[in-house]
Amino acid sequence: MFVIEDLYKTFHVGGQAGVKAIDGISLNVETGKLLTLLGPSGCGKTTTLRCLAGLERPDRGRIVINGRVVFDSEQGIFVPPSERALGMVFQSYAIWPHMTVFENVAFPLRVARDRKYSAAEIKQEVVRVLEMVQLGGYENRASTRLSGGQQQRLAFARGLVRNPNLLLLDEPLSNLDAKLREQMRVELKRLQRTLGVTTVYVTHDQSEALALSDVIAVFSAGRIIQRGSPQEIYRRPRSQFVADFVGSANFFHGTIAKRSDDTATVDTPHGMILCSFVESVQAGQTVMVTARPEDLTISEKHPGDGLNVFAGKIAHRVFLGEVTDYFVDLGEGREIRVRAAPDVELGIGRAVHVAIRPEQCVGLAS
Amino acid sequence: MSLASPSISPLAGLPFGWLTRLRLSHLLLVVCVAVVGWLVFVPLSALLLTAFTEDNIYGFGAPTFDNFLEAYSSWHILRLFGNSLLFGCGTAITALVMGGLVAWVVERTDAPGGELFHSLALLSFAVPGLLTAMAWIFVLSPNIGWLNSGLKNYFGFSASPINIYTMAGMIWALSSHYFPLAYLALGPAFRVLDVRMEEAGLVSGSSYWQILRRITFPLLRPAILSALLLLFILGISSFEVPRLIGRPGRIDVFTTEIQAATSGAPPSFGIASALSITLLLVCLAAILFYRRVTRDAEAFATITGKGYTPTRIRLGPWRWPVALATGLLFLAALGFPLLTLVWQSFFRNLAPSLFASDLPFTLDNYKFILSYPIFISAVKTSVTLAAMSATVVVLLTFVMAWIAQRSATRYGWLLDALAFIPIAIPSVIIGASVLFAYLVVPIPIYNTIWILLVAYVTSYLPYGMRFASGGIAQIHKELEEVAEVAGAQLHQIFFRILMPLLAPFLLAGWIYVFVLAVRELGASIFLVGPGTHVLGTISLTMWEEGGSYGAVSALGVIQIIPLIFIVAGLRWMETRLQRRADSSTSIARP
Repeated sequence: MFVIEDLYKTFHVGGQAGVKAIDGISLNVETGKLLTLLGPSGCGKTTTLRCLAGLERPDRGRIVINGRVVFDSEQGIFVPPSERALGMVFQSYAIWPHMTVFENVAFPLRVARDRKYSAAEIKQEVVRVLEMVQLGGYENRASTRLSGGQQQRLAFARGLVRNPNLLLLDEPLSNLDAKLREQMRVELKRLQRTLGVTTVYVTHDQSEALALSDVIAVFSAGRIIQRGSPQEIYRRPRSQFVADFVGSANFFHGTIAKRSDDTATVDTPHGMILCSFVESVQAGQTVMVTARPEDLTISEKHPGDGLNVFAGKIAHRVFLGEVTDYFVDLGEGREIRVRAAPDVELGIGRAVHVAIRPEQCVGLAS
Repeated sequence: MSLASPSISPLAGLPFGWLTRLRLSHLLLVVCVAVVGWLVFVPLSALLLTAFTEDNIYGFGAPTFDNFLEAYSSWHILRLFGNSLLFGCGTAITALVMGGLVAWVVERTDAPGGELFHSLALLSFAVPGLLTAMAWIFVLSPNIGWLNSGLKNYFGFSASPINIYTMAGMIWALSSHYFPLAYLALGPAFRVLDVRMEEAGLVSGSSYWQILRRITFPLLRPAILSALLLLFILGISSFEVPRLIGRPGRIDVFTTEIQAATSGAPPSFGIASALSITLLLVCLAAILFYRRVTRDAEAFATITGKGYTPTRIRLGPWRWPVALATGLLFLAALGFPLLTLVWQSFFRNLAPSLFASDLPFTLDNYKFILSYPIFISAVKTSVTLAAMSATVVVLLTFVMAWIAQRSATRYGWLLDALAFIPIAIPSVIIGASVLFAYLVVPIPIYNTIWILLVAYVTSYLPYGMRFASGGIAQIHKELEEVAEVAGAQLHQIFFRILMPLLAPFLLAGWIYVFVLAVRELGASIFLVGPGTHVLGTISLTMWEEGGSYGAVSALGVIQIIPLIFIVAGLRWMETRLQRRADSSTSIARP
């Protein structure tokens, strides 16, 4: 496990005003869990990972890994990367081209300072992890003569060989093609579960984050703006940014007309919407309502009471195989996206009703 | 990905907790930087001090401007300026035109023989400048030049038609030595020039000449200017040709005058340093001028990776004539002097012309040289020195380049600049200023091999830096970072990751510096002591103090042959590196 407290890091590039890469981050994860740092490029997620590794030195804050303080700006503690007992996999894999597969994996054992590994032990350990990542039998292969997917596994094996306190993964799947990426995602999850190694995973790919994580921390502009399980992040986004970045969403602006307990009625240009709120809101306040395209249903007949319903015309549609996306014109230049089963067939220009259950509408204050 | 980052910094971030990170290996980094700073600045400071103090063999005298007043007080200084500038510019332009033509033929046309011409260009790198100058005297001297006597016999001239001991002769001799360098500098720019830019001009209706003038030349301007600058500095800094050809013809330039001032009786170090500073300022002015005119060089998108098509101009029936003409250029500039030297080495006295050789061939010259004790000791000194300088330069610049690119990236430009300063310092000035420095600095290396080592290392830092920087830039930073996270310490990263990956670059740099050092004369002439003669100085002494023509030539041939093999090795390394960069294996992009 690790704890990050109140971390700051500013980069000075070419003598200009500093760029705040990390602007006050606190974060922790329990042993054996997989935490994903998710966000667009330049949001500070990679810098946070590099601070954990010790490859960057934060300006301020505190980092504790497995009960050991590895960084503390007030006490002037900085433990160099080589003494943090971590495993790391880079986006580029960073396989050493002048070493064989065996030597790549053996390197962390050969340079270990906490104990001396005998040749037999090294052999045994290397073979063990190579089997684990299904590279058994490749020991004497030149590391440059591996495919992309194999290099990726090799990078994992090297990261895992010393049973690290933390496994740090910096966009490890982004260089693979789509098919292989999906396959590796499943394998990675299985491997992480079996080994129970605490893992920090950096990615900008929201579907990867949802599929892999126990916990997701969504980053924007150097801060964590929401932290929670994949389900929470997806179903209960607490800002427009999160709703938009994770999955896709329709937004309706309006004002609170009436509120009761944790639901409220919002007055929008397209009619009243009943929705749930996490924060407390008052009547008259401007708010936003988000609705996921796959939660919306589309039909020609009015779907009945108890639902939020909008009337409109089909503007265009996109057939995607598993689903069909309809873009429905609600008037006043407003289009919303509705995801329907591929057997729903409606022509362009048709008048339709779009409906959504109130509990699937998430209201956001502001 | 996220922001550009200053990396695993042992030096950056000093103000905070730096004691916790101070280790032996970090100290080593500091030591390297300090050594380079010392090498560059101590001689320059000594030069300045000597120039502005009264001449005094033992330490510095009272501050004064007399040295400059004396150096500048006669009309002679104007002649020096005139000769030096004319020599530098003349050489730069002649060599550029010759090299440019070869580059165009090799890179832009389908004329055969490109590989051969490239190898010949590299071969010329193996020939010491001193030997080129000697060989041209054998060819074109009014008294002993075989070409002159041949022309006299054939056309019935009463006097020799060509005189090498003129400014034109000097320019020709040096250009023949440096035009392959112009080719090597321009070749890459010609290669990547996008033909489609020229084709776009053709389609829009311009004639070929208009295209050359309006499109091709402007696009190549930055490359041409940088080649011109390099050739100008090499020309104005050269010592061998002015010494052997200029002095007998009473054409003085700065380099010969500086050397003469220090070797007079009594030596006038003050005037030598005043002249050195003047020459240094000329070089500096050339660099500033170059930077001014290439300020907006980036606007020229000649090298844009995408869309580059290596189309060559089809010469059709002219393929062979063009190749032949290029071959003749090499024969005239490189073949004449070299073949003459080889031919001459087989005769004791002045060799007969090629056609009327009834004189007996002899190997006596070689036997003499190979059993000549001074030669044997000079070979030992030169080879030892060259090997030591190459090793020291490669190690120092490797650490410097690493710090500049990986550790103190914010100050990287400063380290680069530091290591590149010596490129603007003529070797004669390095020799003189190192001499002045170690007459005063209480480090007892005067008259030993070590003072030569100091001068050589200083001179060749820029070349080492070029190889080391180029190599490190090709190695992805994550290859080192992953090793650090895996538990490796700095020395383990250096020896187990970086060194093996950089080995070909370091080896190429080593060979390059080795060849330069074996050829060295300009700095050595100030610094050799009774027991530390090097190949360059003994060749010069033998030439000037009446060794036989045959013996001197044999001495030259014996030097050139092993150098040719070494340069062939360099060529082999070069193609290997090129292939590695082309296939962009896992080093560049894992």
